[in-house]
This record gives sequence, structure tokens and C-alpha cells, in this order.
Amino acid sequence: MARMMQRRRIWHHPRVRDGLAFIMFTGPALVLIVLFIILPAVQTIVLSFTDDTGAFVGLRYFREVLANPDTWNIRRFPPGIPPWGSLVHNAVWILVHLPLSVALGLILAVVLDKAWGATVLKSIIFLGMVTPMIIGGVIIRFLFDENAGIITAILRGIGLEALGRTWTAYPETALVALILGSVWLWVGFSMILYSAGLATIPREYYEAAAVDGAGPLQQFWHITIPALRPVTLVIVAMTILWELKIFDIVYTATLGGPGGATMVLALQMYFYAFRALQFNHAAAVATLLSLFTFIVGLWFTRTMRT
Amino acid sequence: MTRRLGIHLIAWAIGLIWLIPFVGIVMSSLRPQRELIHGWWNLSPFTLSLDNFIEAWNHPSAPLGQGIRNSLIVVIPATIVPLFIGAMAAYGFLRFRVPFSNTLFLIIVLLMSIPQQMVAVPLFRFMRDVGLLDTYTGLVLVHSAWALPWVILFLRNYLSTLPPEIEEAASLDGANRFQIFTRIVLPLSVPGLASAMALQLTWAWNDFFMALILLFDPDKLVATQRIPLLRGQYQVDWGVLTAASLLTMSVPILVFALLQRYYIRGLVGWTLK
Amino acid sequence: MGRRTWWLGVVWLVVLGLVLAACATPTPQVIKETVVVTKEVEKVVTKEIPTLTVIGPWAGAEMDQFTPVLAAAEEKLGIKVRYRIYRAEDLSQVLPPQFAAQQAPGDVIFMWEWWVRENAEHAVDLSDIWASEAEQFMLQPTPVDGKIYNVPYVLWVKPGFWYKKSFFEKNGLEPPTTWDEFIALLDKISAIPGVKKAIITGDGVGWPVGDIVEHFLITFGGPELQEDLIAGKVKFTDPQVRQIFAERLVPLLGTYFSDPVEWTQAIDLWWNEEYGLYFMGNWLTGMVEDPDDLGVFTLPGARGVVGGTDWAFVPKYSENVDAAKALIAFMISKEGMEIRVKQGGKLASRKDVSPNAYPPADRALAEALAQIENPAVPDLDDAVGGDWQRYFWDQMKLLWVKPDQLDTVLENLDARFPTQ
Repeated sequence: MARMMQRRRIWHHPRVRDGLAFIMFTGPALVLIVLFIILPAVQTIVLSFTDDTGAFVGLRYFREVLANPDTWNIRRFPPGIPPWGSLVHNAVWILVHLPLSVALGLILAVVLDKAWGATVLKSIIFLGMVTPMIIGGVIIRFLFDENAGIITAILRGIGLEALGRTWTAYPETALVALILGSVWLWVGFSMILYSAGLATIPREYYEAAAVDGAGPLQQFWHITIPALRPVTLVIVAMTILWELKIFDIVYTATLGGPGGATMVLALQMYFYAFRALQFNHAAAVATLLSLFTFIVGLWFTRTMRT
Repeated sequence: MTRRLGIHLIAWAIGLIWLIPFVGIVMSSLRPQRELIHGWWNLSPFTLSLDNFIEAWNHPSAPLGQGIRNSLIVVIPATIVPLFIGAMAAYGFLRFRVPFSNTLFLIIVLLMSIPQQMVAVPLFRFMRDVGLLDTYTGLVLVHSAWALPWVILFLRNYLSTLPPEIEEAASLDGANRFQIFTRIVLPLSVPGLASAMALQLTWAWNDFFMALILLFDPDKLVATQRIPLLRGQYQVDWGVLTAASLLTMSVPILVFALLQRYYIRGLVGWTLK
Repeated sequence: MGRRTWWLGVVWLVVLGLVLAACATPTPQVIKETVVVTKEVEKVVTKEIPTLTVIGPWAGAEMDQFTPVLAAAEEKLGIKVRYRIYRAEDLSQVLPPQFAAQQAPGDVIFMWEWWVRENAEHAVDLSDIWASEAEQFMLQPTPVDGKIYNVPYVLWVKPGFWYKKSFFEKNGLEPPTTWDEFIALLDKISAIPGVKKAIITGDGVGWPVGDIVEHFLITFGGPELQEDLIAGKVKFTDPQVRQIFAERLVPLLGTYFSDPVEWTQAIDLWWNEEYGLYFMGNWLTGMVEDPDDLGVFTLPGARGVVGGTDWAFVPKYSENVDAAKALIAFMISKEGMEIRVKQGGKLASRKDVSPNAYPPADRALAEALAQIENPAVPDLDDAVGGDWQRYFWDQMKLLWVKPDQLDTVLENLDARFPTQ
């Protein structure tokens, strides 16, 4: 009887109760993740450190990948034109694409929420997200095409003849064209999450602020932006991950060219695995990719705690 | 009043600009390619035809109609399962303080970085061993697993914006953890769940690689798998290809347009409580 | 537990079931049993009529030209065949996991030749069906350890610069017979009102540009040069090769060649007479409005043109290896190949197929090719294959818009060339 009581007490101890509840709530997700992601991924990481016979080779593949000018060609970095190497291209992608996507997504979510026909407008922005991969790259390619592209036609129309040629054919402009196109495709993502974030902000906050005499800009700055911080964190993290893994658009629009000017990490991994049939090198690129995300992830959890 | 009008005008201007790249695709599916070589905005000659859509739908080697049906069979469970399991896990990570739960969360976030191409071989072997190869169930489980990291990440952060006081009040009323979750947390997260659903549905729908690896019975192929089958080694019929893409895109767009009501409902739900 | 928690139980049951399934099946006995059972069932069914899956890259019109061969094979060999479309790019992702699990999605698969050589351990030795046919073929497979793992099918060629006969007549133009006449022709075309550039450059993932380069190499260095480059005996920085690039090709870039244009779009622009010439393979005949208006010429003095084929192999894991081999043997036989070329769009890779087997447009081409010393010079990038193939395309696309980088491009090609 006394033992029963004791057991009951353990059962009801807050920490044990929390632990059990935690397992009940997260268990199903963890099982699926372990079986379908972690187990195969670990095998991939192992592959990047071992050769075909299974012997441990240390960092050999990583050294070979990093020594490849496709990965790292920093001597050509500005003022030289691409190729700068996939690592640099991915970094440039993040530097240009991330601020544009986050800012545009927020502006669109705020502006479109108040407009007539918001549903239609948001669906239009969302089009980029549902475009099948083999079409996304094709759209970008034809937007910047000398003969059939509307952007080049407009640029020629306003007298910028030099920009009126096919952007994806020239190493100077190919990367820019792809990044701009990828903003078009991706903004729907940040817009949707921001729309959901906006819905969590109680109306009363704005009403109270209005009573205190705050204008719309002040309200936006002091209520909307702080309230959207958790959502912004997710958007930034997911967008960086998407930029690091960017593949389909480049594959269909330029195949990493011309002259490697749009080579990115994921495409390089694809070429290692399915063209060169060097799966270990491909695994090394994949592991490198995960390493970069590790950094993003560390930053992310840090910021989240504060 | 004029400022209001200004916002509508700006919003519609943005919408139209965003639509432009897409018009090229619509034109390409409706008009012969020869009319488009100098840009779709050249309207003479102007010939319209729906033949490309009909051909894509009933294509002899890859009928898209069947593909869209198969996609629905896969995508509906592949959206519901990870959303539900993910919301539970997100709530668990947010509310229960357990040693190492932050580390575990970090690991899950990091998993999003793994490129799908790299797990192909081990995953294929595993699916064969458990007999889930070439089955919808297998693909649904894989999609669910791969969706979970970001669903958990997003919903955990979304839930963190909801004030804990409501839950505390309910807990004082004698409701247990699960009742709090189903009766209070889930209804409050409708806008977040609707967003996550829109995105997960889109991603599962647009997935090409996992389906390519895991489904190979010709009758089971999903829509995105069939689009490349419409183009051969040399022959690229842009008309049929773009028509097929539009048909494929129509489902997620429609779902998205319908789902938006739920953002608003979530907002209303909040103000009513 | 509250009544509302029933769903939690359901979720747990599903996951538990899954885990059990995952843990239970890997035990060897269970696997063996299931395999045996399915095999027996299939054998009972397939003993009488084996069903073979053929995987090829052809869709649309190209597929319609191929399926009559399969129909004939069904009748002759007493088998059933289903055809499925997968292009090599997709197969390169589908096959490795399947092979690693000792499975195959098809019984006869058309795939890059270099890829099959690299994966020879997963392919069936076809030496026996090839031996009797070998001497009839213009193209020979490269053996791996003395064995043949893939065999050539029908031929496509890249015969030179195509023009519209009506366009040439209207403007008083003639196909050139010397290099100077070629340059003069380009000047004349460029001067025609409405013409943007004399030659339109096609651009896919890059192969159309590579094809033009190869045509220049073969014309000015002979088919031998192309073969030496493939074998790695001659480098791209070799003075002979560099000279062909620097003196023949580079001066034409920018002046006469357009920037790379998506190659199907290029057909329409060229047919619209905004450009005079288009370099493309013979499949072009099936893609223009009026094939009878098509003319083609090689660069003056060319002793050979590139001819290539699609290669077929049988994966080891096919359940019907013998039937699959019989099917391949039929496809590459004189009879099988005549059925295919009769449909148009492709030429025979066998020497014993008579010109009468072709439809008119292809017959003209086949006869023109008969005049050329070597109508099936191996394709440079197809033969080298691997990652170098797409690297070569990519560097040529760079050269097209940055001709001043010629030396860097040639050095890059050498540096990346596969050793062996």
C-alpha cells in the first residue's frame, strides 16, 4: 500500500508528468523522423567519410570538394564576373534574396490584407509557390530572353540596349536573373506566414494605440513588427535553407552555366552523384550543406531563447 | 477615403506585376508557339485553342487526369498527418520543460537541411525492406516525415505567440493536457494551421523527386511525375507541357484560395473569445 | 484519461504498427518467403506470355515511330511488351537506388552508353547476341573487360547547316563548296533585310552548341582528330585544336552566330527567316512545317559527320533476361531496324538496310550521307560522357558569349578531362 502510494506520487511528480506528456506529444513525430530522415541521413554522412570499400578516409572528400574551383573561386570575386564558385553563389543568393523576400512578403501581407479582392491577389502571389519545378526555371529563362522576354523588351524600350539580350546566356547576368526570378517564386511563402502572423495580433492592441494617438506607421513599427518576430524567425530560417538547397530553377534554366556562372551547392552535389557517379563526393557536399544549416540552426535557437 | 483607394490601387498594381511572368505560360498553352517567338504580348495573329489541355488530360502515355487523382490520394493524407502530429509535437516542445528538449528541437530543425537526393539509396532500401515501396502509404509516410521538421518549427513559434493565460485558466477548470490541446490550442491556431496546410499541400503536391524514386507503377504515377513524361529526348511540345503544368497547378491554387477563409475565421475566433 | 483523448490512441497505434512492420520484416526468413511466393506466382503467369517493360526516352511523335517495332516483336516472339518513357536524366536518379536494392524498373532500358559501362556490374552480358551482328554495324560499343553490355540502336546524325530551299532561291543563295564561299554566303545572308544574324545558335542544356564545335573539329582536323580527342590522345590546348578554334570558329562568333537561343524556339525564328542557317541533327525534319523545303550542307571539306545512337541494355535484375535479350536481338536485326526506319525520323545504324526502307525525306538524307566518307563519327561528349559532358557544353556556351576567353576554356577542358 505504501509502495503504491509512493509510485503514485512519482507518477504525479511535476517533472515526471511533464516528461511523460512530452513523450506522448512528441513521440509520433520523433518516430517518423527517425525512420525516414535520420536513419538514411546518417548513412549518407557515413558515406562522406568512407571510400567504396567502407574504409575510413577522414576528410579526403571534403578536401577534394573544396579544392574544386566549382566550389570556391574567390579570386574572381568582384570586380571579376562569375563564376565565383558554388559557395559564393549560394552566399550571394542569400544576401540578395533573403532581404527582398522577407521585406516584400511583409509588405504584401500587410497591403493585400486591406485591399479589395485580397483572396484573388494573394492567390496570384501564391502562383510562384505552386509552379512545378520544370516550369519555374523555364519561366525565368523566357522572362529574360532576348526574343520572347518581357523584361528584356521593356529594358530595350527604355533605352538600355545592353540589357536587352538573353540574361541567362551571359555570365554577368545569369546569376542575377535567377535570383530575381527566385524572389518571384518564393515571396508567396513569406506572405502566407506573415498573413498567419498578422491574424494572431489582437485588434484591441491597435485600437488602444489609436486611442493613444499613434499613427499607422507608429502602430506598424511598435505593434506589428514586434508581434511578428517569431514568424519572421521562421521565415528567415526557412528562406535561408531554401536558398542553400536551391536546385530546380538552376537545373532547368541554366544547368549551372554559362561557364559555371550559376553553379550552386545542390546542383554540384547532383552532378557529383548522377553525372560523375562519385557518391562519396556528393555525400561530402550534402554534409557541408548540413554544416551550414547547423550554423543557421545555432543562430536560430539562440535568437529564439532571448 | 483617397488613401484607401491608393492602397487598393497599389495592391492591384503589385498583383498585376506579379502575374506577368505567368501570363507567358497561359499564352503558351493556348496559342501556337509560332505566335509567341517575339513575346506573348504580340497579339496578331491571335489564335486560341484548348487542344493542348485536352491532349495533356488524355495523353496516351501519361494521362494527367489519372495523375491528378493519384496526387490527391497522396497529398490529402500527406497534409493531414504531418499537420496533426506536428502540432502535437510543437505543443509538446513549447509547453513541457524536459532536459535536452532544446537540443532535440535543434536537431530537428537541422534535419531540414538534408537534401532529398542524398537519402535516396538508403531510403529506397528501407522502404523495400518494410514493403512500402511503390505504395501510396509509403510515399505519404515519407512526405509526412519530411514535412515534420518545418511544421514543428513553424507551429512551435506560432503557438508561442498565443498567450499562455488561456490555457492556465482552462487547466484550473480541471481540463487535462490533451483536452487543453484539442479544445483550446488547436482552435486558436487555425490561421497558423491553415498556412501550414497551404504550404505543405503545395510542397507535397509539387514534389517530384520522392515520387520519382518511390513510385514506379505506371498507373500510380502522380501528376508531377507525368509532366516530364510529356516531353521526350528531343521533342518538346511547350504547348502541352505548359497546359499540363497549369492543370497541375490549378488544384493547389484552388485549395489556397479556399483556405484563406480560415485565416479570417481564425481572426474572428480570436476576437470572439 | 479524458474521452477526448481517443485520437491520441489512434495516432499511437498507427505509429506502433509502423514500427512493428519496420522491425519485423527485416528478419531474413520472412523476406525469403515473400520473395519465393511472388516469384512462383509470376512464373506461373509468365511462363506462357512473358511481359517485358521497355524504357526509352521517346515521347510524342518519336514514341509513335517506335511502338510499331514493339508490336512486331510481340507477334514474332510471343511476348507482351509495355513501353514506358524515362529520359536518361531521370533514369540516372531512378536506377542507382533500384540497382542497390537489386531491382530494376524495366527489362530493356535505353540509357547513356558511358553510364552503362560505369555500371556494368548491374548489366547482362550481351556479347552473344552482339557477336553475330557486329560486322553489320557502323557503330561499335566499347567493351568492358572484353564483354559487351549495351548495343546500338537506330542512328541520328548531325549533318550540318540546314537552310530553307525557298529562302535560298528567293535570295539567290547557293550552298558553299569552299570555306571562302561559306564566308561569302554568311555575308550575303547577313545583308538581307530582316535577317538578324546569318546563323542561329540553338541552346538546350548546351548540346546544340557542342555539336557545332564538333563539326568544325571534324571538318578541319578530320574524323581522326575527333577520335583522338575522345581517346584523350590529343589535348584541347594542342596547337592543331587551338588553331581550329582560333582561326575558324572564334572569328565567326558574334559576327555571324547569334547568342544561344532555346533550340525549339530557334526553329521558329529561323523558319521565320530572321536567321539564314541552323545547325541541328536530323530530327529537325520532323519538327518543321514543310520538310520538303529543307536543305542541308556540311562545312566545305568535311570528311565526316557525327552520327550517334541510343544504346540499350538489360539489367541483371530483370525477371525475363532471356526474353529481354531476344527482344533486343530483334530490335537490332535487319528486320527490326527496317520496321523502325520505315516510320521516319531515324536512320539505320546497320549497313545492310536498303535505302528503299526509308520514307522519302530520310531516303534523301541517307543517300547524301552515303557520299560522306564517315557518316557516323562518334559524338565527342556522348563518348566521353560523365560530368565532363555537361562541363564541355557549359564551357562552349561560355565561349559563345566570351570568345576572348578561348585559352581559359581550352585549359579548363583539358584539366577536367577524365583520366584513364
